[in-house]
Amino acid sequence: MARNRYDMDEVLEDSFDMNQIKRLAAYIKPYKNRMISVVLLMLSSSALTMLIPIFISQVMDECIPHKDMKMIIVYSILTLVIALYSAYALRIKIKKMSVIGQNIIHDIRTDIFEHLQELPFSYYDDRPHGKIQVRVVNYVNSLSDLLSNGIVNTFTDLCNLIFILLFMFYLDVKLTLICLCGLPLLALVIVVIKKKQRHAWQIQSNKQSNLNAYIAESINGIRVTQSFVRERENTGIFNRLSSSYRKSWMTAVRYNFLMWPSVDVISTATTCCVCILGVRWIMAPNATLTVGVLIAFTSYIGRFWAPINTLAGFYNSLLTAISYLERIFETIDEKVNVKDEADAIVMPEVKGKVEFHDVCFGYEEDQNVLNHISFEVEQGETYAIVGPTGAGKTTIVNLISRFYNVNSGEILIDGIDISKVTLKSLRSQMGIMMQDSFIFSGTIMDNIRYGNMEATDEEVITAAKTVCAHDFIMKMEDGYQTQVNERGSRLSAGQRQLISFARALLANPKILILDEATSSIDTETEIMLQKGLSRLLAGRTSFIIAHRLSTIKNANCIMYVDHGRIEEQGTHDQLINLKGEYYKLYMSQFDFLKEASATAY
Amino acid sequence: MTPMKWFFSFVKKYRIYMIIGLFLTMVVSILSIINPYISGQIVDKVIRGGDSSLLIPLIGCLLGTTVVIAILRYLYQMLFETASQGVLYEMRDTVYRKLLAEDFNFYNKKRTGDLMSRQTGDMDAIRHFVAYVIYMVFSHVLMFVFALIMIFTVNLKLALCMIIVLPFTALTTFLQSKEVHPAFRRNRDCFSSLNTYVQENVSGNRVVKAFAKEDYEISRFQKENDKFREAQIAASRIWMKYVPIFEVLAYVLTIVLILYGGYMVIHEEITMGDLVTVNGYLWMLNTPLRMAGWLVNDIINFITSVDKIYKTYAEEPKVKMPLNCTKKEHFKGRIEFKNVSYRADDDDIVTDIDFKVEPGQNIGIIGTTGSGKSTIMNLLCRFYDATSGEVLVDGVNVKDMDLYYLRDNIGMAMQDVFLFSDTIEGNIAYGRPESTFEEVKQAAVMADADEFIMGLPEGYDTIVGERGVGLSGGQKQRISLARALLKDPSILILDDTTSAVDMETESYIQTQLKKLKKNCTIFTIAYRISSIKDADLILVMDHGSIIERGTHEELVNADGYYARAFHNQYGDIPKGFLATKGGI
Repeated sequence: MARNRYDMDEVLEDSFDMNQIKRLAAYIKPYKNRMISVVLLMLSSSALTMLIPIFISQVMDECIPHKDMKMIIVYSILTLVIALYSAYALRIKIKKMSVIGQNIIHDIRTDIFEHLQELPFSYYDDRPHGKIQVRVVNYVNSLSDLLSNGIVNTFTDLCNLIFILLFMFYLDVKLTLICLCGLPLLALVIVVIKKKQRHAWQIQSNKQSNLNAYIAESINGIRVTQSFVRERENTGIFNRLSSSYRKSWMTAVRYNFLMWPSVDVISTATTCCVCILGVRWIMAPNATLTVGVLIAFTSYIGRFWAPINTLAGFYNSLLTAISYLERIFETIDEKVNVKDEADAIVMPEVKGKVEFHDVCFGYEEDQNVLNHISFEVEQGETYAIVGPTGAGKTTIVNLISRFYNVNSGEILIDGIDISKVTLKSLRSQMGIMMQDSFIFSGTIMDNIRYGNMEATDEEVITAAKTVCAHDFIMKMEDGYQTQVNERGSRLSAGQRQLISFARALLANPKILILDEATSSIDTETEIMLQKGLSRLLAGRTSFIIAHRLSTIKNANCIMYVDHGRIEEQGTHDQLINLKGEYYKLYMSQFDFLKEASATAY
Repeated sequence: MTPMKWFFSFVKKYRIYMIIGLFLTMVVSILSIINPYISGQIVDKVIRGGDSSLLIPLIGCLLGTTVVIAILRYLYQMLFETASQGVLYEMRDTVYRKLLAEDFNFYNKKRTGDLMSRQTGDMDAIRHFVAYVIYMVFSHVLMFVFALIMIFTVNLKLALCMIIVLPFTALTTFLQSKEVHPAFRRNRDCFSSLNTYVQENVSGNRVVKAFAKEDYEISRFQKENDKFREAQIAASRIWMKYVPIFEVLAYVLTIVLILYGGYMVIHEEITMGDLVTVNGYLWMLNTPLRMAGWLVNDIINFITSVDKIYKTYAEEPKVKMPLNCTKKEHFKGRIEFKNVSYRADDDDIVTDIDFKVEPGQNIGIIGTTGSGKSTIMNLLCRFYDATSGEVLVDGVNVKDMDLYYLRDNIGMAMQDVFLFSDTIEGNIAYGRPESTFEEVKQAAVMADADEFIMGLPEGYDTIVGERGVGLSGGQKQRISLARALLKDPSILILDDTTSAVDMETESYIQTQLKKLKKNCTIFTIAYRISSIKDADLILVMDHGSIIERGTHEELVNADGYYARAFHNQYGDIPKGFLATKGGI
């Protein structure tokens, strides 16, 4: 059962952010060299642009008083060269960093997506799908700015900072130390707000996820919403989620906005201290400081604080990004229960013998859905599973494909324990038609071909003909090329079943599992379908779950399941003669005829 | 209405925030001009001039303005942020309402991921614009104009000479925005398509695993992921061309200053002091030019997003609320279809449907797969409008009825069960959120769902996953039935509601339904004869038309589709079972 719904926040972690940063660094590492080259380029350009103020002062102090127009032209040309160089550097930076940034995003997204493919059903069942989606798409996207600009700017700024600091120390040690006094103050501000800021962004990412989940569900459940006239109610819920998103955003962004004013005030305060003390030292009888040095120093203070300002901005976006990163990494870290064993072998071509030996299974630790199930199916046999709803029928067939691991006991196919083979080699030899016939958006052709990508158009059409889907498909405006969407709303439920049936057949499976494959199909079509099928099924093992007993009467064996146990097992005739549960179930479908005749006569 | 007008209709409500915000931005811009001036004074007067008495007042001023700037900046940032969140809130609300009002035609054509992208990625571009771009553009333009005016007051010729960058700036801006626009549109499309792809992969995770198609899915994902990356990089290739041009233009101003300014001082057209003053203003011309390229990007990105959102929802739903509509608290449940046909995409879905139902009657509908059974019910609920003919409820055309009253009186358990990720109680009470637990439980009992719900560890408080994953098909159907029953509707539609439940459960449910109040009209769509045999009228459908009608008895003896279906399903009745009737 699910653990999370749209309006529930996911659990927040308090663990230190360093871990997230380390993992992010691992993604950045492959691009390290390229990034260093960009940083070097930017440093060279910023070093050159520092010459321009010198040019200007040269022009003012030297050239103009000497009416030296030639030198002015020379300086102008030099400025132009520097301008072109820094424009070139900027161009290279944009070019390289957008590629690097997008590559990192691409890599992270690939990792989270690939991991999602491995995660078992239960992961998807446990939370609204909108919350999974937001991690793969939106969260990863929000790292874009940090990666394509933030990191390089930070390194460039850090280098600049070091240069300037060295220069300042060279000018005057005492004044530089005064300047540095501002830094602990800034650190104090950061430490004070950090915990709250981080928490606020965590909450914000949660609220975003909730809102996203609700939108996704609203779109997918629109038919129900409209037919139950829930529009007003839902708008209310949506606006509640939307306003808590707004509130969380405003709280979080407030902390970010505190950063720049703090830097501004602290930097001005240190500048003031430098001025006051500097002037005092100049005036002192045994002056250690000259006027020229103080003037030069004051002009560098601005250059000292400018990179700190951008670093503060980077810190802000890093903190925001971490709240997304931890969600992303949490998904990547999610444990995969059902996976290939280290020494898993490739399942040889399946012949079709299936055995259950004393299998127990439960979705929850303490709750067994299946108790001590044992049975044997010979190659090529048709096995039917009947029983009340919720008895565990679907669970049994889900175990054959190893969608879940058994708690105890073992399942063998052709004598091989299925937990010892690779999932891909196991599942690709089965054709499964599930209760929910999911249709992907694309053409009908694509949807059927999903069962076997190599199939030719003819093979697809043959499969469609076998399941009696050909006629209705041809009647649609573009035939097999008709576009359907994932809600499949242009198709009736029965038509969707037929398409997923064709999909399962096209996989040319050795073991076919039909879970309520024909529940929404009329009996006439079903009979035609079964005729086609019986030819196709020859030699293949099949499992059929159905409520319409006419569908399964001819099975080699029928097993009646209730409360997770096999209550009765045998052919139709054997079970009828047994006069047990199956008999009761079978007879119950005729009860109404009795009633009808009773009222008629 | 144009997309921009539509956008501004949301801004209107928050314009007071923005006006105050812009005013504060202006104040801060002016103060930021004063600050370097004060620093300059400290250098000139105090350090160079040695007038230390001025030091403390000047430093006081410097600190004072800095603190004021800090406070005001925080304030206007918050104002714009508040405005942007407000605009976004209203916009989300409007878009969400529109989403709920769209008819099935809309949903048949739109992909979930696209619709979601409008609500997430595109909204974010708008947030960024209102919260940041507006004041950035304003303060930079202000700064630029102010500096230009100051330079004009110093010397006309020098100022005119500096203005030569303006036409180039304008041209570059124009070219950049023109070129970057399609790139951003492509960007948004790729985002949408990535979003759609991921959304479907997540929803279809069971099928992916069942067919062991993980590798294929990953390769498809890589295509989308690559496409998205390429689109982003392609866009950056465009601004890579333009942003450096602005950088050069910014330096051109410095060159003009050195070259022409120097020339003028030498020829004594301006004084050295003038040149120093102009140099002091230079950063105010430089900075906006450097920002221009990035701001153009932001603006175009914003325009693209507004366009996208607006266009997605511009189309008015075809099924509309009538202006003067009949409101009725409760229907009797008399239903009449008069020669109703429905066409979609040049396809006749149903043709000439004609039947009459009295209140409290029980109607069964049976027929081939895709023959239009559900469509008839969708026409009754007005999820589509009939192309021709009339659907009347209690003698009133459904098109003239209040849409919500109509649907509120109809309880529908759909073929394709959709449950929300909520508790079971919440799901059953979906149509009647105000109902008590007893009522919910009673509905569940009627739908034979109570027993299995109580068997779950958390009973009615169990949260079911989206689409009800974790429950079996029959369990989902029964919850969906309970949901419809709780509405206590005048018209109940059971669209293939018991296909996944066993016979015993079905007959229990049927007995329960008979207990429903007498004036509830029930439609049952089914494939199993047993589900509909008691109906007062059975309609048999094929290829969009009614091919047979009558009661069970009549149809069984009519030797048509129904009789064949009956034989197919029950042809093998055990001998002696119906001794009293003497065979069929």
